[in-house]
Amino acid sequence: MKKSEVDVLIVGAGPAGLAAAIAAKQSGFARVRVLDREREAGGVPRHSLHTGYGLRDLHRVMSGPKYAARYISKALEAGVEISTSTTALDWAGDLALALTSPMGLEEVSASQILLATGARERGRNARAIAGTRPVGIYTTGSLQQSVYLRHQEIGTRAVIIGAEHVSFSAVMTLAHAGVQTVAMLTPEARHQSYFPLHWGTALRYRYALRTKTKLLEILGRERVSGVRVATPSGEEVIECDTVVFSADWIPDNELARRGSLQISESTKSPIVNHLYETSRSGVFALGNLLMPIKSADQCALEGSSLLSKNW
Amino acid sequence: MAKRVAPHVRTFDVAIIGAGVVGAAIARELARFDLSILLIDAKSDVGAGTSKANTAILHTGFDTVPGSLESRLVSRGYFLLRDYAREVGISYETCGALLVAWSAEEFANLSKIQEKAIANGYLESYLVDVADLYAKEPHLGPGALGALAVPGEWIIDPWSTTLAYATQAKAAGAVLQLSTRVERIAQSSHLHTLHTSQGEFEARYLVNAAGLYSDVIDREFGFEDFVVTPRRGELMVFDKLSRSLVSHILLPVPSSMGKGVLVSPTVFGNVMLGPTAENLSDKSATESSITGLAFLQEKGRKIMPALLDEEITAIYVGLRAATEHSDFQISLHAPQRYVTVGGIRSTGLTASMAIAEHVRDLLTQAGLDLGKQDALPAIHIPRLGEATLRPYQNEPLIAANPSYGEIICHCERVTRGEIVATLASPIPPQDQAGLGRRTRATLGRCQGFYCHAEVRALLESKGGVS
Ligand SMILES: Cc1cc2nc3c(=O)[nH]c(=O)nc-3n(C[C@H](O)[C@H](O)[C@H](O)COP(=O)(O)OP(=O)(O)OC[C@H]3O[C@@H](n4cnc5c(N)ncnc54)[C@H](O)[C@@H]3O)c2cc1C
Ligand SMILES: Cc1cc2nc3c(=O)[nH]c(=O)nc-3n(C[C@H](O)[C@H](O)[C@H](O)COP(=O)(O)OP(=O)(O)OC[C@H]3O[C@@H](n4cnc5c(N)ncnc54)[C@H](O)[C@@H]3O)c2cc1C
Repeated sequence: MKKSEVDVLIVGAGPAGLAAAIAAKQSGFARVRVLDREREAGGVPRHSLHTGYGLRDLHRVMSGPKYAARYISKALEAGVEISTSTTALDWAGDLALALTSPMGLEEVSASQILLATGARERGRNARAIAGTRPVGIYTTGSLQQSVYLRHQEIGTRAVIIGAEHVSFSAVMTLAHAGVQTVAMLTPEARHQSYFPLHWGTALRYRYALRTKTKLLEILGRERVSGVRVATPSGEEVIECDTVVFSADWIPDNELARRGSLQISESTKSPIVNHLYETSRSGVFALGNLLMPIKSADQCALEGSSLLSKNW
Repeated sequence: MAKRVAPHVRTFDVAIIGAGVVGAAIARELARFDLSILLIDAKSDVGAGTSKANTAILHTGFDTVPGSLESRLVSRGYFLLRDYAREVGISYETCGALLVAWSAEEFANLSKIQEKAIANGYLESYLVDVADLYAKEPHLGPGALGALAVPGEWIIDPWSTTLAYATQAKAAGAVLQLSTRVERIAQSSHLHTLHTSQGEFEARYLVNAAGLYSDVIDREFGFEDFVVTPRRGELMVFDKLSRSLVSHILLPVPSSMGKGVLVSPTVFGNVMLGPTAENLSDKSATESSITGLAFLQEKGRKIMPALLDEEITAIYVGLRAATEHSDFQISLHAPQRYVTVGGIRSTGLTASMAIAEHVRDLLTQAGLDLGKQDALPAIHIPRLGEATLRPYQNEPLIAANPSYGEIICHCERVTRGEIVATLASPIPPQDQAGLGRRTRATLGRCQGFYCHAEVRALLESKGGVS
């Protein structure tokens, strides 16, 4: 097995990991390596084609892929080594990770390890939603990859579960794929996004936000045929062929847990101090791995700032 | 070896209706002989009925009814499948079971169950006191009083079992006819004519292994020996990070209320909670229910509270083919050259190979001449279990083919190499669920958040596009 050593090893080449890598390089670390298990670096913005990225960090608003490309080229210019199709599997020591990639197995040790593995939305099973198991069920993340990266056929009428920021991103993605959003459901009394985004999408795409409405069950054998919901005035069926589970985030904490880092019971994120250091000295966590969920620019700023606070 | 038949031939020595674990095992057993064999299923994949959704336990048969056909076939099937799993690479783990008593009544029952196990020929069970129980299973919820250990109860990969049988039968010359529903059966003095959604097939001998529909097929012959009532079993699967919570299969003590809910590791490195038991009338009602899932969560919280803090990665529903009889309903109708294999309710995975031998013998009793016997062609199927080296960990394999180092499904760590190989296998998957059963792709905690689109693209291009 190959063995190697770097100064700073970062897991996850999303906004947080790339920004941290650039900052590490700029502050003088010689060998900075970022790993990502995907074929391409960039993290979630890579498949989020709609606009809405970069306001706070790059000071202009752009699409996700453009935003990701900016960070990748900045990182490469700064001399960061980016290894894609490379998964950090487990720990190989307190400050060492075991990797697999098409090049084979590898163990890398470092003086600092940064975990920037992001977060994902809970899917249908994780939310223990009853009903059939037909085709046509997505999270916003899988929907965006299908639509923007793969141009796959989606459907015609969608119901979105959740009414947070990312839910409005789902509306835009569905519209791009020619799918009408017939309803957006939230059990809360109101949606949980900023008004401008909600109003903007509501005006443009005309969908019904349904508050105090809870998803009970998915219907349809081969293909989704509808959802049964509970509303203040009783149960009803909304016909649709697509269901998108949005928000309800869970940090991608697998490595943190495999390393027995202390985990917060409420958020399931690794517990960090004011310097973003986890319960293991030399191991840091940042970006959306640390709940609550943030926008990409906030994650990137966190990555850039990590350095000035610590090193 | 089975007779090779030309593609246009539609007359067979034996036709088997149903390519579940039972039908596929029968096809494999008969494929060693000089016979032409047709294995037919309405679904687009083998093992896509009840056989895909069970608790995947290799049962010793310790709690079957002593003296029953089920008792005999489960006990024998256990050893046959264990050896077969070793031979072809089906993953299994020798974890053993603990029947946990939660009340004085259940505790008192343990010794009766032990006696029953002995009556079934299973001699290795022993009583475990409460201190030892919590030492063995520290995450067990409070309130357990003791347990009966049944070390022979193991876990196995149920999907690969059916797939291996069907793959080997096919390799030996059996014809596999999927997406073909048998709609009507006509009989003449020496041939059965199967009218199907894909035209007609003829067979001299017929085996009905149609699971939930075995009674419906029986009616074609006018037999009314049993009625199948689908008994729904809902199951929850928890994320791999929960695997360290449990070491044994934690079985409930059977009571008058039925078998009850278990917590069990899976060979894939997950933990399973279930099943429910509820009689339905619709044989296609494989949806999960709000009440069923709530019931499982409540039970799970009692058995192992920490489990419920973990993420649920899958929810399955299996329909047991229950009948008004407690035993398997396997019978020979010699004048019709027809064998019914019905009521294979909750032990069919374990018993499958023994059922196949039994059906073979019944067919010969009805006059089927098996002819010359040959060794079956050796097959090997990809091992999916966590207890052995997976492709992404296999340095020489990755060096020979780098796509085995490229993980596509990150949660289950399934590589591009495995997916491409599966799409080119003798019985390739037709959809994402079939791919999942063969490789585990998309079955993990993210439920496709990361890999759904990539996996779908691979499927749609049959492995061609990346
Ligand atoms: C559908 C959707 C729409 C969004 N829209 C917007 C928007 O309009 N504007 C906005 O500002 N934000 C938006 N966001 C949020 C934004 O994408 C996230 O805040 C940001 O991507 C988080 O950055 P991160 O670096 O923490 O994690 P991620 O971007 O999730 O990156 C984590 C990376 O880690 C990698 N990784 C994980 N585990 C391993 C491992 N073991 N080995 C190797 N690599 C690993 C992953 O492959 C991934 O590339 C959206 C998010 C989603 C899901
Ligand atoms: C919840 C649950 C838990 C279980 N746990 C275990 C366990 O731990 N261990 C164990 O050993 N067993 C277990 N079992 C039992 C085991 O799963 C079954 O006994 C076994 O799968 C039955 O296999 P089968 O081939 O008879 O039926 P099936 O798998 O249902 O196969 C029958 C096939 O016939 C086809 N068919 C029906 N009608 C037609 C037609 N007209 N034309 C063409 N095709 C047709 C169907 O499409 C189907 O594929 C469990 C079962 C359930 C439901």
